[in-house]
Amino acid sequence: MKKVSSWFQICIFLAFIFLFFVLHLALPDVGFSEQENRELTQAPKLTVDSSFSGQFTSKFESYCSDQFPFRDSWTTLKARSELSLGKKENKGVYLCGDDILVEGYSKPDFKQLDTNITAVRNLAEKANIPVYFALVPSFAEIRSDLLPKNAPNDSQKEIIDYSYEGSGTINIDLLSAMSAHSDEYIYYRTDHHWTSLGAYYGYAAIMEAMGKTAPTLSNYNREMITDEFYGSVYSKSGISWVGSDSIEFFVPQREGTKVLNYPSDEAVPALMYNMDFLNKKDKYSMFMGGNTPLITVNTENTDAPSILVLRDSYFDSLIPFLQDNYSEVHAMDLRYYKTKLMYSTLIDYIEEHNIDEVLVCYSLYNFGTDNNVFLMGQ
Amino acid sequence: MVFSSIIFMFIYLPIVLAVYYFVPWKWRNPWLFFVNMIFYGWGEPVYILLMLISIMINYISGIFVGKYRDDNKPRAKRILVINIIINLSLLMFYKYFDLFASTLSIIPALDFIKPLGITLPIGISFYTFQNMSYTIDVYRHDGDVQKSFIRFGTYIALFPQLIAGPIVRYKDIASQLDFRSKSPDQFASGVRRFTVGLAKKVLIANNVGVLWDNYAALSATELSFAGSWMGIIAFSLQIYFDFSGYSDMAIGLGRMIGFEFLENFNYPYISKSVTEFWRRWHISLGTWFRDYVYIPLGGNRKGKYRQLLNITIVWALTGFWHGANWTFMLWGLYYAVFLIIEKLWLLERLDKAPNFVGHIYTLFVAVSGWVIFQLNSLSQCAVYYKAMFGLGSGGLYRPEDIYNLASFALVFLISIIACTPLSKNLYNRLPEKAKSFSSAALIIIGLVISTAYLVDATYNPFLYFRF
Repeated sequence: MKKVSSWFQICIFLAFIFLFFVLHLALPDVGFSEQENRELTQAPKLTVDSSFSGQFTSKFESYCSDQFPFRDSWTTLKARSELSLGKKENKGVYLCGDDILVEGYSKPDFKQLDTNITAVRNLAEKANIPVYFALVPSFAEIRSDLLPKNAPNDSQKEIIDYSYEGSGTINIDLLSAMSAHSDEYIYYRTDHHWTSLGAYYGYAAIMEAMGKTAPTLSNYNREMITDEFYGSVYSKSGISWVGSDSIEFFVPQREGTKVLNYPSDEAVPALMYNMDFLNKKDKYSMFMGGNTPLITVNTENTDAPSILVLRDSYFDSLIPFLQDNYSEVHAMDLRYYKTKLMYSTLIDYIEEHNIDEVLVCYSLYNFGTDNNVFLMGQ
Repeated sequence: MVFSSIIFMFIYLPIVLAVYYFVPWKWRNPWLFFVNMIFYGWGEPVYILLMLISIMINYISGIFVGKYRDDNKPRAKRILVINIIINLSLLMFYKYFDLFASTLSIIPALDFIKPLGITLPIGISFYTFQNMSYTIDVYRHDGDVQKSFIRFGTYIALFPQLIAGPIVRYKDIASQLDFRSKSPDQFASGVRRFTVGLAKKVLIANNVGVLWDNYAALSATELSFAGSWMGIIAFSLQIYFDFSGYSDMAIGLGRMIGFEFLENFNYPYISKSVTEFWRRWHISLGTWFRDYVYIPLGGNRKGKYRQLLNITIVWALTGFWHGANWTFMLWGLYYAVFLIIEKLWLLERLDKAPNFVGHIYTLFVAVSGWVIFQLNSLSQCAVYYKAMFGLGSGGLYRPEDIYNLASFALVFLISIIACTPLSKNLYNRLPEKAKSFSSAALIIIGLVISTAYLVDATYNPFLYFRF
């Protein structure tokens, strides 16, 4: 090989490795990654302790990779090359069509599932009031036709049927309710939650099963709050070029509706819609202000019944609809409420607060995998 | 530290090269000695001490063996034997103690022996073998004594081959420790080689590795006939591209600082017999065992039965060298069986048969062998082999298998072509101008895409719903 050509290759290589070395030093460090939804590692301090234990080296290593110049562009390039190699997914998330990101469903560990079903059954047996059970399927079930051919995606219907069979509750068929509107915008394309429209169909199905009425869709003044929502599936996938989602509000927080959040024993006044999250990455948390152990909603319909909902985050966007049907809504998330249930049971809670109805409403994924559900049965 | 990481490529390597070429010659070996220690101690700083002690012991042994090898051979031999015992003891303790302990504790009378949970010092299998080759070479007059501690340490801990080979024998590198020319052609060929190795490791090995992990985790009822074959073929590709990619990077990095290492892989999957496969796979390890175990045991000079026994011993040890699990020894013995059959009977017949027979037979043996190599227990192997031979409970194929095949078809195609010398031959036929142009283009593409995969490997989204 000619000398010139050797020198040229050497220069390319050295330019490449030195360029990023220098750029890393020259560019300011980044604090928060919108793409990954987390704080990036900052420069670690070198101490005698940390250097001998290897802590410094591992921190320094994640510092260098977290702060690598144009980090997001590199991960995007990787996702693009994966897809151009003929793959239909990146990091376990399928890219369906041009801009829908979907995670396939895989059957839960049946030991956990059975424990959870038993817990629901025990609750239904112990409570002297009606217990309703609603499992929310995910997009992968409703639009399994959009997933790549033969892609691993277990049937959610099977697991829902199995759960309903053993639960001894009044079961609500959300699967049919959602399937009936499968071509509407009922799930976010970049997030695992249902949209407010999806939540409305869920709400209508629940009301129907309870013998109550839900207003028809045309009665709502829909308001689009943002169209720049990139959800959790987006963050997981690394497929950064898909379009954003929009978030709608259907029901305003009515005058006279009081919302209390119980992050601990002390109640904190809260809002149905927390607009602070509009400027953050995690915009779905606008609904009820995100994950919390317990939220109570008191409406002006004081003659209406009260309900205890054992739920996960899907329910956050459904709560506003309930203002028309209930005097009180107690929305409890057992993943965060568990410490309190060490001292008392749900039955105590139901009696203490004069609850008239109980609804267990989980996304199927969480119901199959969460290990706090057993608390219901105690 | 590993080569395929951000910190190595964009922090460590630029600094090492910049200083290396900036300082005068006499400081270059000391500089390499210093950065070797940083490289080695990066994950487990305390093991630098172990490395230094090991270097010191062998440095001193070498001096004494060299001193007595002419006038007092028995004494030189005693020192050599003690040295080998020390080296092997370190290896036994740090690599195999926990295995021995947990095996012995099965016997009720010995159940007080408990595993210690020792972290394996990286590269110990490689540098222990290099250390032994040095004292043995000195004893056999195959190499001269290295009087400089720094040069000796530079050889033992030389970062390009420190943690995954090739195993460089002292005699092959002795002169390069004292003098290394520097030429842009050598550096440029190092760049090309490093980039090829990086792409093999990051783009191919890691990629197909995902598929293998997927199949290795399946239960008996989920593992179909087609799936088991796809899984183990994925692993066969993964281990070849991982290991040979690492050797390529080592050879390339060596050239960037003026060292020439011997080749470690030579397209093993195109072999026509198992005997040939092992002449093309991990060549430096095979050579080491031939020169320092097989031939001293008598090789083929003491009759047929002794030769077969020697083959069995060497392959049991070769297998066991690969990891602290009895399955590795079994894997070695598996090869001993085929090598013996070939020696006694099959090789002559393979020579006469059409080429494709030898190719298929060799690939079948090698690919099937990886099951024993990679699965941790015999019961797992049994499940996997059952599926491969159509006796499993997972059926002929499953929809996921079709999905995986479609997803990985292109990767498979590229990597299977890359197992053969095809692209190299095509490249060599190019006119000079096209060669230099395509080299430059491939270096850029290889570096950019590999970097994307390296950065992506640290992608770590926070997903609120999981908590």
